[in-house]
Amino acid sequence: MAGRLVLLLGVVAALGGCTTVDVARAPDTGRGRDVFVTTSDLPGPYKSLGVVQATRRGVLLFGFADPAGTDLQADLDEQLLPQIRMMGGDGVINARFQQTQYSLGTRILFAILFFAPLPSEVTITGEVVKLDSGAQPPGSGASATAPAR
Amino acid sequence: MRLLLLLSLVALATGCGATVRGSPLSNRPPDDNVRGVFLSTGTAPRPYRTVGFAQVTGYGVTVAGFSDVGEAGLDGTIRGTLSQVASRMGGDGVINIEFIDENPPTEVERVTDLSNTLSSAASGRGEVKTRNRSVVVTGEVIQFLSAP
Amino acid sequence: MRLLLALSLAALTGCTVIHTAAVPSDRGGQDVFLSAGDIPEPYESLGMVQATRSGVLLFGFIDVVGTDIQAGLAEVLIPQVREMGGDGAINVRFRQTQYLPVQQVLGAIFFFAPLPSSVTVTAEVVKLRRGSAASPEQPPVAPPVAAR
Repeated sequence: MAGRLVLLLGVVAALGGCTTVDVARAPDTGRGRDVFVTTSDLPGPYKSLGVVQATRRGVLLFGFADPAGTDLQADLDEQLLPQIRMMGGDGVINARFQQTQYSLGTRILFAILFFAPLPSEVTITGEVVKLDSGAQPPGSGASATAPAR
Repeated sequence: MRLLLLLSLVALATGCGATVRGSPLSNRPPDDNVRGVFLSTGTAPRPYRTVGFAQVTGYGVTVAGFSDVGEAGLDGTIRGTLSQVASRMGGDGVINIEFIDENPPTEVERVTDLSNTLSSAASGRGEVKTRNRSVVVTGEVIQFLSAP
Repeated sequence: MRLLLALSLAALTGCTVIHTAAVPSDRGGQDVFLSAGDIPEPYESLGMVQATRSGVLLFGFIDVVGTDIQAGLAEVLIPQVREMGGDGAINVRFRQTQYLPVQQVLGAIFFFAPLPSSVTVTAEVVKLRRGSAASPEQPPVAPPVAAR
């Protein structure tokens, strides 16, 4: 029985692969995004409103159910973007992010071992800024890099 | 028991997220009337030379879910210690700052810690729930080559 | 004597592990480009992506599923960029499990306990705004992405 279970898990893992991908997009209001999130710097001019870190922590039930929303998109939509709006910012620059990721085989294993939920966490950090007049939003082609010697 | 249930409901309603904030860093362009070390998660606004790199870790604890003790705060590590380190190295600023608060307590965890502490106090055990905290900050220390 | 020989061999191999990845970085539109930094061309952000590939090293050396940086970028990130309709990815960050040669030798000896291995890649996927007046001259193919 145990041998067949291991074989089944192996087949499922092989078919499902060992790669996990998570994506997060900032909301698009149609007239352009109301709040931007970029992993890049900005040339400015802008006013810094402070650094921010948004973390969501929880468990995956049955290997797949994520009631606390510990993925990148949920952290962005429900934690970071409201914080930026509350601070009166136009967006976040130099964003860094990391999320717990499990392979399909691990998730299936813990779906079977449902009494042991998988810990899960996502973190996004960045600097909240308010653009001054004349500032270029991210992706406009202006470079923020000053020459180093 | 009712208090514990109420606190649990509050915790569930507020979610499992934690947001940590720090005070503003330097504007771009930097304000002329503001002195002190230039701090940015991005690059420098004018030509510079690299003096070196620094990593600062601040440790602390959260006591009973609500009282943060020690130096595990973004402001203390970035605007405090990192700035001092840069000045000691002869730098004018720190760029490409990256930071991580490694164990920020979520609302659920804060409420749980508080309720556990209160329960312990009520039962006479007197145990206070603490949670270890740490903040790690890195940055590139620079010296500007020209005046603003 | 054998222990001394083993320790000497381990010491001769050193304590540094190096992995590199060569990926296309021509932003002329021929293929998906990758950059560890920002780009001067105008772009539209399509979103952030994090990808992790996990596996094991059989006999300490055989990377069955491809958990090195080359695989992480070429086989995971680049297809993901194409799937999202992007032209490339900027601010690419990557981390791969790295073992010292002595650890891999131990993994070969204790082959029944394969070494866990994984690579994680994060990036911002972008679509270039071609034909924009703000597009400056493009540099030739950028040097390969390298990591230690």
